[in-house]
Amino acid sequence: MHSDFIIIGMYLVLMFAAGIFFSRNIKNTADYFLAARSVPWFWIMGAVWATNIGFLHGYLAHGGAAYEWGLIQANFEWFQGPFGYILTGLFFIAFYWRAGIFTVPHFLERRYGSGLRVIYSLAWLIIFVVTIAAELYLGGMFLKNLLHIPFWPTVFVLTAVVGTYTLLGGLGAAIMMEFVQFVIMMLGTIPLLFILLHFIGGFTGLKDILLSQWGVSAQYFTVLPDIHHPYGPGPWIILGQCFVVTIGWCAGHQSMVQRNLGARSLYDAKLGYVVAAIPKTLGAFLYVVPMIAAPIFFAQRGIFVEKADAAYGKLILNLLPSGMLGLFIAGLVSAGLSSIGSVLNSSSTMVIKDIYERFLVKGKSDHHYFIAGRIATFGIIVVSLLLVPVVLKVYLIMWLEQTLIAMVLGPFMGVLVLAIFWRRTNTPGSLVGFLTGGAFAIFLQQGLGIKVFFQISWWSFVVTFLVTMIVSLYTKPPRKEKVEGLIWESDFRAQLGKVLEQRAESNGIKVKEVPEIKIKKPPFYLNLKYWATVILLIQVVLLLFFG
Amino acid sequence: MKKKFALMGFLGFLIFAQNISAQERFIDVRQMMADELTSVKASVANQDWMKAKESFQEAKTIWLNEIKPLVVEGVKTNEQFQEYFNRIGEVEKNLDDLDLLLADHKVQEIESKANAIIWAISHHPRGFDVPQPRYSIWDWIFGLGIGIGFCIFAFYFGLYLRRSYYHRYKKQGE
Repeated sequence: MHSDFIIIGMYLVLMFAAGIFFSRNIKNTADYFLAARSVPWFWIMGAVWATNIGFLHGYLAHGGAAYEWGLIQANFEWFQGPFGYILTGLFFIAFYWRAGIFTVPHFLERRYGSGLRVIYSLAWLIIFVVTIAAELYLGGMFLKNLLHIPFWPTVFVLTAVVGTYTLLGGLGAAIMMEFVQFVIMMLGTIPLLFILLHFIGGFTGLKDILLSQWGVSAQYFTVLPDIHHPYGPGPWIILGQCFVVTIGWCAGHQSMVQRNLGARSLYDAKLGYVVAAIPKTLGAFLYVVPMIAAPIFFAQRGIFVEKADAAYGKLILNLLPSGMLGLFIAGLVSAGLSSIGSVLNSSSTMVIKDIYERFLVKGKSDHHYFIAGRIATFGIIVVSLLLVPVVLKVYLIMWLEQTLIAMVLGPFMGVLVLAIFWRRTNTPGSLVGFLTGGAFAIFLQQGLGIKVFFQISWWSFVVTFLVTMIVSLYTKPPRKEKVEGLIWESDFRAQLGKVLEQRAESNGIKVKEVPEIKIKKPPFYLNLKYWATVILLIQVVLLLFFG
Repeated sequence: MKKKFALMGFLGFLIFAQNISAQERFIDVRQMMADELTSVKASVANQDWMKAKESFQEAKTIWLNEIKPLVVEGVKTNEQFQEYFNRIGEVEKNLDDLDLLLADHKVQEIESKANAIIWAISHHPRGFDVPQPRYSIWDWIFGLGIGIGFCIFAFYFGLYLRRSYYHRYKKQGE
């Protein structure tokens, strides 16, 4: 156990030092919020995945849900997660790039006006603050239960490490740290699956014990259960989760998108997002499959499990040898820190770019907004810490966060799809549609008591879509110049050229030197279409095998 | 009016806090019982039969005085207790068996019996009890409808995107 403490301590000190090291040379808002637009594709791949996977959306809460409901939880990692990554990478990222924006709400404002920008920013800020508090709570509880160390000092140490590099270094430091954490997560946590399957007798042994000997429902072993399943009816998973929530998450989550806006070129941004689907697919083997095998281990070894959320910690504590446990915990803490760091950075970007600079204090120097960004980061850390005791009392954290997200992502997807593909969509239509869709989601959940959040997302998407269309048709169409460059019918290359020029100038490069304007054909091993095809084929195989 | 709201808030907090503390108590007592049963296994491994029997009696007392009453009362108002209520018979039978095994000093069987009791008071995955798959005609209609519909949509939409893209750049070059 002592060796585990030493490994974890060394890891935290290393993260702290690396964070300060990566925070050098941050001078302006483009450095702070968009990492000087210099990030290559492989860093984006690691950062996007590390952003996505934390204590909450990954190891602990998803692992707990996998223990509770079985292989169905892998649908977040297989076919629909990668589908969302690929679609966003190939399609939506280009629109954001062409629009030359800092944030997703900024895109909504360019297309629909400031009203939607404010509503969307505020909704996400609430989600982000709850997410940070929930991540800190889960991390603190996890380490407390596992290592018997006090809760609050643990939370403060985690906050200090992640807060320091995010506050000082902005997006650049966050991305670099996320890539390092991505490597530690992969190396540290993948041995669990092999050790556990070896203990049980492989995947065949696992299936045999659960289905034949214990008589467990076959639905515990399927990714797409029948329509009566209480947690995730198959058809609703496809409609609500795959087509609305996942794509909305990939294309509308500021933390995910911001990593791509900091890329050194549009191609890097697209490729980084597409290949991030590979670690996403592997994620199921890190925290879903081990948790399905966990009940056998607990029953055979006589290990008490009080609730599903605690199962992951109990598993690693009782299965992994000393030393390896420390490395594993370092991997898990990496997951938590990377998620907290990215959400923290994105929250401060939205506070400054979407609210402070846009509405409260206009026309100040770049340095002013840069300092304000750091103050905002600190403020969000404080608010999140204050929220931890509240989250502490809410047992169903995952439910709370998913409900909030379902209320936002359905309406967001409705207005985003129309923004890009229907020139006629206008400001009143989008505003009324978005608010009606959000209100309808609340009605479905509170009024009709629908608990499956995929269903809520789907219907709120449909309502938003229809209301936006109807109101737009009965009100004035948007001016042609307002939508130019933001819809599918725009002149892509001319628009991209303009944006690249602006980006280059803001980075102090003369326009004629900008390399991205010359579009080179990538080598075959970096071809987006090949990668996308291979990844989708892997999903088909997984679905045929486990579906 | 303000006083009414404050009073309602306070009552709500009390009910909420009471509920949480009951749940925490339920976790604590089960953990205590599991610890005593683990102690039984360790003592048997060390051939300390006296200590093993003491720990067993402790575990049984916790079961009878703490856990069972909580489960029997809790199931009336909270469905979370249902799984434990369903396993009361299993726990009691295994406790009786373990008592006999300890008297007979059967080392091998004691461990598996103690493990079975610990597992019975643990939380079992809810997915275990989901009914077997009942894929109806609606699943197929719905599933195939979405699948085939999406493929048709993706094909034609892809064609539209391709056509409009080349149409635009051809125009630009002219």
